[in-house]
Amino acid sequence: MIRVHQLSKIYTDWQHGDSIALNAISFAAKRGEIYGLLGTNGAGKTTALRILATVLAPSSGNATIDGCDVVKDSALVRQKIGFVSSNTAIYDRMTAWELVTYFGRLHGLEPELLRDRMEGVFAQLEMHDFRDVLGAKMSSGMKQKTSIARALIHDPPVLIFDEATVGLDVLAGRSLLDTVCVLRDQGKCIVFSTHIMREAERLCDKVAILHRGRFLAEGNWRDLSQQHGHADLEELFFELIREDRSIHSASSPPASAGGETSVSMAASGLT
Amino acid sequence: MRWSNIRLVFWRECRDQLRDRRTLFTIAVLPLLLYPLLAISVFQVAQFRHDHPSRVWVIGAKRLPTQPSLLSGDRFSDGLVDSATQELIALGSAPPNWIALSQKALSERVQQEIQQGHVDAVVLFPDDFSLRLEELNRQMAKRPTGEGKPVVQFSEIPEPTLFLNTANDKSRLAAQRTKQVLQSWREQIVRAGLRSRQIPVSATRPFRVAHVDLAEAGHEQLAFWSRLLPFVVMIWALTGAFYPAIDLCAGEKERGTLETLLTSPADRREIVCGKLLTVTTFSSATAVLNLSSLVLTGTLFFGQMELIDGAQPLRIGTPPITAVVWLLMVLIPISALFSALSLGIAVFARSNKEGQYYLMPLLLVCLPLMILPVLPASELDAGTSLIPLSGILLLLRTLIEGDYLQAARYCLPVLGVTGLGCWLAIHWAVHQFNQESVLFRESERVGLRSGLKHWWRHRQATPGVTGALCCGLLLLFIRFFAGSQASMPATWRDFVSSQLLVQVGLLAVPAILLARLLGRRVRDGLLLRWPGYKPVMAGGLLAFCFHPLGMELTQLIHNLYPLSDAIGKQLRELESIMGPASLGTLLLTMAVLPAICEELTFRGLLFSGLRRSGRPGFTILTSSLFFGAIHGVFQQSLSAFVVGILIGGLAWKTTSILPGILFHCTYNALSVLLGLVVPLYLPTQPLLQLFFDGADGALRYHPLVVGSGGLACLAIGSWFRGMRVNTYPAQPVRDQRPDTPATDSLSATPIA
Repeated sequence: MIRVHQLSKIYTDWQHGDSIALNAISFAAKRGEIYGLLGTNGAGKTTALRILATVLAPSSGNATIDGCDVVKDSALVRQKIGFVSSNTAIYDRMTAWELVTYFGRLHGLEPELLRDRMEGVFAQLEMHDFRDVLGAKMSSGMKQKTSIARALIHDPPVLIFDEATVGLDVLAGRSLLDTVCVLRDQGKCIVFSTHIMREAERLCDKVAILHRGRFLAEGNWRDLSQQHGHADLEELFFELIREDRSIHSASSPPASAGGETSVSMAASGLT
Repeated sequence: MRWSNIRLVFWRECRDQLRDRRTLFTIAVLPLLLYPLLAISVFQVAQFRHDHPSRVWVIGAKRLPTQPSLLSGDRFSDGLVDSATQELIALGSAPPNWIALSQKALSERVQQEIQQGHVDAVVLFPDDFSLRLEELNRQMAKRPTGEGKPVVQFSEIPEPTLFLNTANDKSRLAAQRTKQVLQSWREQIVRAGLRSRQIPVSATRPFRVAHVDLAEAGHEQLAFWSRLLPFVVMIWALTGAFYPAIDLCAGEKERGTLETLLTSPADRREIVCGKLLTVTTFSSATAVLNLSSLVLTGTLFFGQMELIDGAQPLRIGTPPITAVVWLLMVLIPISALFSALSLGIAVFARSNKEGQYYLMPLLLVCLPLMILPVLPASELDAGTSLIPLSGILLLLRTLIEGDYLQAARYCLPVLGVTGLGCWLAIHWAVHQFNQESVLFRESERVGLRSGLKHWWRHRQATPGVTGALCCGLLLLFIRFFAGSQASMPATWRDFVSSQLLVQVGLLAVPAILLARLLGRRVRDGLLLRWPGYKPVMAGGLLAFCFHPLGMELTQLIHNLYPLSDAIGKQLRELESIMGPASLGTLLLTMAVLPAICEELTFRGLLFSGLRRSGRPGFTILTSSLFFGAIHGVFQQSLSAFVVGILIGGLAWKTTSILPGILFHCTYNALSVLLGLVVPLYLPTQPLLQLFFDGADGALRYHPLVVGSGGLACLAIGSWFRGMRVNTYPAQPVRDQRPDTPATDSLSATPIA
């Protein structure tokens, strides 16, 4: 369903020169599978997901979704994905119903089909109570539900969740994770980025630990835990990050101590 | 592009804007309230307005002549001024000891009294004023008449002195009223003298000038409204475009909804078109509502008001309906232009707040262009019709004034320029939406000190884009500051000195220093690199072939925008001081020196920094803009801008300033030869007559030479076009891991 091969992304910065946000990552995810992208802030998770969502163009490598290339067939790819970000991205002056209708119509759904889908999605996510509430007056949970409804309205085979639980309370967070599980069970291919290891343990069939734009480990998490001798994903994550940092600091000359600072500055906000 | 998606985006944005109270207030409420409130305020203020009586003190009043008398009791005599003015002057006496004061001491005392508000103006009649005036009258009475009689030398009368403070409005008004009285009194004295000599009073005024005003009824009002209405519409079209544009772009970025929208099936052009339509709609609506409100208020209120314009008050009258019709017709392209510009600028902003900061620069650029047509001397002609915004405002003015022939003559150039502006602005807005660096620009919260430290450690071989822009602005500032302080050279030696100072001291040396400061390698920072013989020689040849075209362009610019008298005079003076210079010195000063120094600055320092953006158009146009601006004289700047584009193209292709230096040097040398040498030999040299035509007084290339030069330029240009762009000096990619090899800069291709 999703195939990523040697995907790289270089950000050009007028002031600080270019910096590599993604460095030749490769992975694949199947239908009915949740693929977890784990990493610290600035690791390159959002960049990778934005490339999959055709918002950013890769600098090299390629990625396909359901056989469609994210660069060459970007319009087709956008028909096949639903994108949910940590920033709930709700219009303040639109109600939940209006917003989902708007995106449904952008996806070219016929009015009758759209109405049926709306009713179904709103029922599934229990959104009828606040369907006529303006975005500005919604709680974080309501906003995230609306955001998921927007992503689901055209029934895409692939769903991309970019740190979708950030800012949600425990109940809303649990509800979202349950929804993701249900979607997986419906046969959707889901890419789920997070830096909360417990979520990944609970949800993901496969995980990739991303740090400084590179995969430190990738595969079924149970295989990974056996391979590295850790029962806990969080411990595995910390160990891999520590190792990577020690390699980096050992091979880095003292004069380039500012390198890390500059990279984090250039990639600030690119989680 | 799918119209259904554009329509969807358009309707959503419209609904969103209509639900925004701030937008509604700016678009609908403000215009509906603004003008009526303004009119009511003016009327209210006018009711409270009253004429301020002037307090005037007269020193030496007791010794004034009685016939004709200036004073009558404690006021000026009747008949000197109209009764209304007379009522507004309150006469008073200065302290008695003031008459003995010196002029300086008296001035200080009067100044003090004016500042304290005790008096507004003081008139001092000297001691012997009355006696000398009587003496004059006696001399006039005794003056012999008839031919051959000697002319009597009249004694001079000491002048009365009026003390006032021109910085004080009340004092200025008091002095004006007092002067009126004194002039009238002087005329009475003259008339009395003439009557005593039995000379007719009309001898002092043998004739009067009669006025016949040929302005058609209502034409003055039309002229007033033709200036006001288009200006108001433009301002509101701009304002009405900008605020929705900020909300639609920066607001979406701030809320995070833009990213979501980009993942929808609507492609970016569809999104931009939908947003552009929305902004254009709101811009037009704002302008229309303002226009309606102004016309309505004008009809109800301003129609009764009068403007004091000279001696005759001008009744403003009601706005003409034809003006409204013309404005509505031209509103759409104006709104589209402003909307596309606003959208392109607003998408650059990261937040609503930041977007509002960008309004000021846009206003600063647009306002002078909007004010130009309001100025009294400006009119629609070939030159002004090509100026963006000014041209369309002048066209509107001409149409409203009813000069349809003139409007028809320049209608096409005006609409062409506006259409081109629209197209470029829309293209730019779409381009901005395709730029990842623009859409996902993150704020860098870096302190000044740490930022400077970071920049110094990580500075590249050449200055960056921001550094280059700052350098350009700094050099422009230095150049104009020094230029405003310098005087016009009087001799050839002075001229050479000033050229050396400007070219070396203000351009080349700062450029080298800045290249050293902002980059690691001066040679790279100045693009000092040998590109091979062929490109350098081709640069010189290109200048040779382009010169006839360049001269035609200069001529065209001078026809469109003639030099002002002052600039023309200065240039003629400059030419006159070149007389004693030898040809070699002339070429060194006018061709070689500017070629080296200006190229080091504009295609060296600025260009090397700008080219790091990776965008040839941006790099070449921006460096050419600075190159044009440094030339000072507008007409010269225009031709320098075009030449700058050519040299910029050479610099982009060869990554060197050397072809540009040879181009610049050859071009300037040819101009010097054409201006100073060719005219001397043209009448006697048949070979020169094959190339040049000096029949109508102005030396020009033969059209055949111009055409051949153009074709040769195309050939050389295509040769350069075929050259592989040299990426020297390559920008290393800074990796996070030191063991990763540097990667070539990869351009990020936008996804449509």
